[in-house]
Amino acid sequence: MLAYIVRRVLATIPVMAVVAMFVFSLLYIAPGDPAAIIAGDQATPADIVRIHAQLGLDRPFLVRFADWFWHVLNGDLGTSIFTNLPVTHLIAQRVEPTVSLMLLTMVLSIVIAVPMGVLAAWKQGSWIDRLIMVNAVIGFSVPVFVIGYVLAYIFALQLDWLPVQGFTSISHGFWPFLKSLILPAVTLGGIYIALIARITRATMLEVLSQDYVRTAKSKGVGQYAVLFLHALKNAAVPIVTVIGLGVALLIGGAVVTETVFAIPGLGRLTVDAILRRDYPVIQGVVLLFSFAYVLVNLLVDLSYTFFDPRIRY
Amino acid sequence: MKRRTFVQGAAASAGIAALATPHIASGEAARVLKFIPQSDLATLDPIWTTAYVTRNHAFLVFDTLYGQDDSYAAQPQMVEGATTDADGKQWTLKLRDGLKFHDGTPVLARDCVASIQRWGKRDAFGGALMAATDELSAPDDRTLVFRLKKPFPLLPDALGKTGSNICAIIPERLAKTDPFTQVTEMVGSGPYRFLADERVPGSRVAYARFADYRPRDGGTASFTAGPKIANFDRVEWNVIPDSATAAGAMQSGEMDWWENPPGDLLPLLRRDGKLKVAVQDPTGFLGYMRPNFLYPPFDNPAFRRALLPAINQADFMTAAAGSDPKLSHTGIGAFCPSSPMATDAGMAVLNGPHDLEKVRADVRASGYKGEPVVLLTGTDFPIINAIANVGADLLKRVGVNVDYQGVDWGTVVQRRAKKDPPDKGGWNVFFTYWSGLDNFNPAVDLALRGNGGGGWFGWPDMPKLEQLRTAWFDAPDAQAQKRVCAQIQQDVFDEVPFYPLGQLYQPTAYKTELEGILNGFVLFWNVRRSA
Repeated sequence: MLAYIVRRVLATIPVMAVVAMFVFSLLYIAPGDPAAIIAGDQATPADIVRIHAQLGLDRPFLVRFADWFWHVLNGDLGTSIFTNLPVTHLIAQRVEPTVSLMLLTMVLSIVIAVPMGVLAAWKQGSWIDRLIMVNAVIGFSVPVFVIGYVLAYIFALQLDWLPVQGFTSISHGFWPFLKSLILPAVTLGGIYIALIARITRATMLEVLSQDYVRTAKSKGVGQYAVLFLHALKNAAVPIVTVIGLGVALLIGGAVVTETVFAIPGLGRLTVDAILRRDYPVIQGVVLLFSFAYVLVNLLVDLSYTFFDPRIRY
Repeated sequence: MKRRTFVQGAAASAGIAALATPHIASGEAARVLKFIPQSDLATLDPIWTTAYVTRNHAFLVFDTLYGQDDSYAAQPQMVEGATTDADGKQWTLKLRDGLKFHDGTPVLARDCVASIQRWGKRDAFGGALMAATDELSAPDDRTLVFRLKKPFPLLPDALGKTGSNICAIIPERLAKTDPFTQVTEMVGSGPYRFLADERVPGSRVAYARFADYRPRDGGTASFTAGPKIANFDRVEWNVIPDSATAAGAMQSGEMDWWENPPGDLLPLLRRDGKLKVAVQDPTGFLGYMRPNFLYPPFDNPAFRRALLPAINQADFMTAAAGSDPKLSHTGIGAFCPSSPMATDAGMAVLNGPHDLEKVRADVRASGYKGEPVVLLTGTDFPIINAIANVGADLLKRVGVNVDYQGVDWGTVVQRRAKKDPPDKGGWNVFFTYWSGLDNFNPAVDLALRGNGGGGWFGWPDMPKLEQLRTAWFDAPDAQAQKRVCAQIQQDVFDEVPFYPLGQLYQPTAYKTELEGILNGFVLFWNVRRSA
């Protein structure tokens, strides 16, 4: 097991290197010039040229890449062109809101979606099944920002229970922290709940038709035990896989959710950086997201051994 | 009642109470002003960038030697007063006593000298002042002396200009930074201190009242002139990128003041009895269509002139500001209507009948052969996108073969700097809009230059315009300046370095309990919460 983990962690290095090269190249060929954006509308072309040179953006591609890559290898993601702050500092400022949002969304989604999927499979063909699946389709179909606006209108503006926007750090107390995240997490969770509920239903239907389930039922095992102890555990591997893959959905959705609720997270940092062509920030955040995605997939793979003892690494 | 029922009920009540408790207690909230700026404050140095959001931030943190009052006249601000010698070639400025920077050090004349020199290397008006200056010195801690090559009566106007870049006074050690390198250590002598530790780029910046700030004695606050009284302990800028969310934050009372609500949300905000929507900046914004003089067909003066009568500013302004006549103004020439330099010279060409058939014929007669015209626009700026769409439609209707290229603004600002041919990544025409303050006179308006390749994008080569600009600087009084500006406007309509598309006003929204908001762009002194 340990050897497997080490192998997988080592395998992330070339993946990250390819991602780094790809992102750097993509940004190099993408249109836009941070110097022109910095200088502003009232600047002259000569001003832009001077700022461009001052920022080192006139150096050849390979020189810039080698310089940046060497610093990354030394744990330095560079400095934001605009704010002049280290990228690691900017990321560190944004980690808490994004991680909190994603964790709360995942917990909320799993707690809601898995029982929904189990229930839909158990009551296959009934109105409960159809209702759950209709909700799943809605969760998939309605854009995140629409859900966000509707929830904010009802729970923040009409009922005045929750804030419209912003994020409060957990260091200011758990309730303010939770209040600031409830609407964004529910908003972001919509599509994730739909995804997990559908895969749970599908895999549960397959498992519930297996012989050992029929055997368990014939032995008089209770419905709850059949569903949640026997069937669900055997259906868990694909569900966990989808939960892991869904992290990419969460990352994409977090960008929109953080914008709608004005949460200062990594998603908004990325969007702002892209609009400004703040290359070091874009590169740093994409590397971080890539690493997080690889890590989540590793954890998902490792979790298979827990759900299915036949799997060995 | 069972014990368990009681405990459950109490817990639920506590939970609801906690949900309903405002995050900030009311006493604290009264001393904090929560503001939604037009955009993120990405860069802090008002010399490094010309972004308006940075200029607004700069007026919190920095002070200027001169201010500008409601009538846009320069008034002493950091200076106690100034004297000029008989031939107008020497100005002596005396600083007020007791001025301090936020790091506790006194503001000295040599700090001002270094700040002016840095600003003069970036700002056009500053550049003109420095070009006219033989020597700028600080003979003592409170005295600055400009020894000039020729009289420069606009010296106070230059030092007190409010359009980007402003002449912000910073400590000498920081002012020695290359003007093309950003200063990120915010040490000013303005009414508020920048709280660097609280900055979350893209989300929030905060300022604290500077206890040692010494406002001017007497007088009343008027735009950037007069006593700057800070009535809030803290000013927080909260960046809310989504307009609907910002509107919600205003309606729920989470925010006090929103700099620039978009037109489609104004009715919603106006309906809220706790909010006031008002136009605080009478200079507004002026829209432009800027042609590229380097390539056909806009290298042809006859073609440029032929298009002028087609411009119906009302169409552009309706698209940009909506149909509310209070939010836009047409009949705009080369200068902002609020400016003393505004003139009617040559306006008949814009105000006359917009006979598109005649324009179409004139376009053909100018020698236009149907070559593609690359129209570049930023689709992520609603106002720019709106006026560009009207412009594209208009050009098509008069027979121009428009190659519409809508991209994000980040790409526009890169591409418009290219002098390449339009079919090789260049462009023929782009759209933008500027604060009226940047269209006040020939000293501040970059579009009013005719210095060819060294000028602003579009690179018009108009020697006569340059001569008139020089004559304007040399004009002995306001009347003489205005006469020159009438000639400048006529030259603009003859050579067409840009097409004026009208003026729009940007309303601002704030809680009705706020009072004392000054006219002009967002300024944070004098504002207070009513008792």
